[in-house]
Amino acid sequence: MNFTKPFMILLLIGMLIVSFFLGFSATTHAEELEDAPKNPNPPVYIVDINPVRDVGYHVGDVLNRTVTLKVEKPYKLLQTSLPLTGTEKKYRGKDQGVEVRSAVLEVSDDSKFNIYKLELSYQVFTSSVVTKPSQLPPELVKFGGNGRVFQVRIPSWPFRISPLAVYGAVKIERDMSQFRGPLLLDAKNNQYTLWALLTLLALSLIGLVYILGSRTWLPRMGGPFAKAYRDLRKKKASDSSVKESITRLHHAFNVTNNGSVFTADSFIVAHPKFAPIKNEIAQFFVLSRWAFFDTESNHGITGDPQTWLRKFSRRCRDCERGLA
Amino acid sequence: MSDHQLADWRTHALKLESEVNKVVVGQQTPIRLITTAIFARGHVLLEGDVGVGKTTLLRAFTRGIGGGYQRIEGTIDLMPNDLVYHTYLGEDGRPHVSPGPLLSQGKNLSVFFFNEINRARPQVHSLLLRVMAERTLSAFNTEHEFPHMLVFADRNQVEKEETFEIPSAARDRFMMEIPIFVPSDENIMESLIFDTRFHNVDKLVEQVSQDVLQFDQLNSFAEVIQQTVQASATLRRYALDLWLATKNPAKYGIQIQGVDINRLVVAGASPRGMAMMMRAARVNAWLNGRDAVVPEDIHAVFYETIAHRLVFSPVYEMRRTEIARELLSKIINAISAP
Repeated sequence: MNFTKPFMILLLIGMLIVSFFLGFSATTHAEELEDAPKNPNPPVYIVDINPVRDVGYHVGDVLNRTVTLKVEKPYKLLQTSLPLTGTEKKYRGKDQGVEVRSAVLEVSDDSKFNIYKLELSYQVFTSSVVTKPSQLPPELVKFGGNGRVFQVRIPSWPFRISPLAVYGAVKIERDMSQFRGPLLLDAKNNQYTLWALLTLLALSLIGLVYILGSRTWLPRMGGPFAKAYRDLRKKKASDSSVKESITRLHHAFNVTNNGSVFTADSFIVAHPKFAPIKNEIAQFFVLSRWAFFDTESNHGITGDPQTWLRKFSRRCRDCERGLA
Repeated sequence: MSDHQLADWRTHALKLESEVNKVVVGQQTPIRLITTAIFARGHVLLEGDVGVGKTTLLRAFTRGIGGGYQRIEGTIDLMPNDLVYHTYLGEDGRPHVSPGPLLSQGKNLSVFFFNEINRARPQVHSLLLRVMAERTLSAFNTEHEFPHMLVFADRNQVEKEETFEIPSAARDRFMMEIPIFVPSDENIMESLIFDTRFHNVDKLVEQVSQDVLQFDQLNSFAEVIQQTVQASATLRRYALDLWLATKNPAKYGIQIQGVDINRLVVAGASPRGMAMMMRAARVNAWLNGRDAVVPEDIHAVFYETIAHRLVFSPVYEMRRTEIARELLSKIINAISAP
C-alpha cells in the first residue's frame, strides 16, 4: 500500500498536464477558423443522379444524368453558362469522345431557394480495343445575383467504355470481372429439346391414362366394353361370377352390334376394328357355350376363366377405343 | 345307345346328304334341313318357283331313305278317296277295288310324296291333316297305320290359277317349309344348262345310293336323339323368349318398315310348332357332333320351322314370305342368349 499511493498521485498529475495541452490546441483551431477569409458567394447545393451502370458502354451509347442545383434567392443560374449541344470536352489534351447531346433546364423555386433541374445527355463517340476509362465531364455553370457572378463546378462522373469485340484468345479464368457476371452457355437447343420431351411425356401420360383409365371423361371411354371392363374388375372368381361376367360381355357385344351376337365371324364382319382379337372373341363364344349350354364341352381356356374374361374385356375395350 | 352308335348313325346321315348333294347341286342348306326333318320325323313342304328341282330333291331323298314309296300328283279334280283306293273294271267285267297310294305299301310306307299339293282341293288337305298328324287312316272298316311315313310335298306360289291355299291347320302339320331357290353360283347355273346328266331326272335320281338309312329304325333312333341331346335352362329360356316374340313382336321392340307391327300377327307360333323347332334343333346339334343344343342350332331351323305357322292379318298375307323372313330375322336379332 505504501508503494501504490505515490504512483496514483503521479498519474493524476500527468493527466492534468495532458488535458491542459489538449484544451490549448482546440482553442487555437477555433481561433484559426474565425480568422479564415469568409466565402462571399452563397452555397449551391448540388444533387446529381447518374446512370446505374458505370461499365460496358460502347460507341453510340447515350448516357443521361440529372443534376439539381439549389441556390438562395435572389441568385439565379445564368443559362448562357449551360453546356452547349455538340461540344466535346478534352481530357489531358485529348478528345474524350463524349459529346453533349442535349442540356435541358427546368426551373422552379420555393420561398428561399431557386431550384434548377438540369437534364444532361451525352453520347459516346469513341471506341477502343481494350476497356477505356472515360467520364461525363465536369461542367462549370454560372450564377449571378446581388451584383455578383460566380461559377460552380458540377462534378464529373467516371465510367468505362468497353470494346465492341474481344481481340485475341480469351482466357475465361482471367476474365473474372465482377461487372460481367457469369458467362452462360447457349441453352436454347437444350430448352427446345426439354420442351419437346416434356410435351412427349405429357402426351404419353395422357395416353397412359387413356389406356388405363376406367372412367368416361375422355371421348370413346364410355363404350359398352369399357363399362363391362369396369364391372368385371370388381368381380371375384367364382362359378356364378363367371356366368355373370359372360352375360355382361354378351350385353356389351349386343349393344355394340345393336342386336344379338352369336358368333365371332358375324361380329367381325360388322365391326372390323375388332379383327385383331378375332380368335379371342371366338374363344369367348366357346366359353359362353360351355357355361350356358354345354357344360360337357371343353372351353379350352387354361387357368382361371374369370381372369381370362377380365383380360378379354380389356382387350375388347382397347379395340373399342381403336388402340389394338 | 352308345356314343359309337350315335356316331355311326351320323355317318349314315352325312352319307345320305352327300348322295343327294351329288345329284342336286347348289342346295346344301335345303338338303341339310331335309336330313334334319327326316331324323326329327317331321313332314316337309318345299316351296319355290317352277323347275328349280323341288321334285328331284324329294325323289332323291326318297331313294336314299328306302322303304315303301308312293307318289301322287295334286290336281284340281283329285278327291280324298283317290289317296285311299281306286276302283276299276277287271278282266272279268266286274268292278274291283284296289288300295290307293296311301294303303298300297301298308306299314312299310316310308315316303308319301305329294307333288304340287296346292293344286289339290281342301278336302284332300283335310284328309292329309289326320294322316300327317296321327299317321293313321280309317278305311274299309280298318284302322291303317303308317308308323314310318313322312310326307314330302311341294308347291309353287307363282301360279295361282286352279290352286288352293293350304289352310294354316294343314301347314302346321308340316315340320318345315323349305324355300328352294335357283343356285346363285354361275358355274352351277351353267352346268344345270349344259351338263346333260341333269336333263334326265329319272337317271339322275338313280345315281343316289338306295337304302342308305334303315327306314324302320328311324323312329326309335329319332327318340334316342331327342333324349340324348340336352337343352340347358338358358336355352329353354331363349326358346321361350323366341316364342313369345312371335306372338307379340312389338313388345320386343321389333319394327318392320311399312307394317303396323301391332296388327301384323294374328297368331304366333303354335306349341306344336315350337316343339317341332326344338326337335329339329336337337337333330341339328347331333348332326354337328354335339350332345347339347346351342342357339345356333335353333337359328339353323328357326325360319323353316316357324315361318309357315305364323298367321298374319289378311292385309299382309300377300307379302307373307317377305314379311315373315324379316320378322323372324329381327326376332333373332332382338332376343339375346344369355
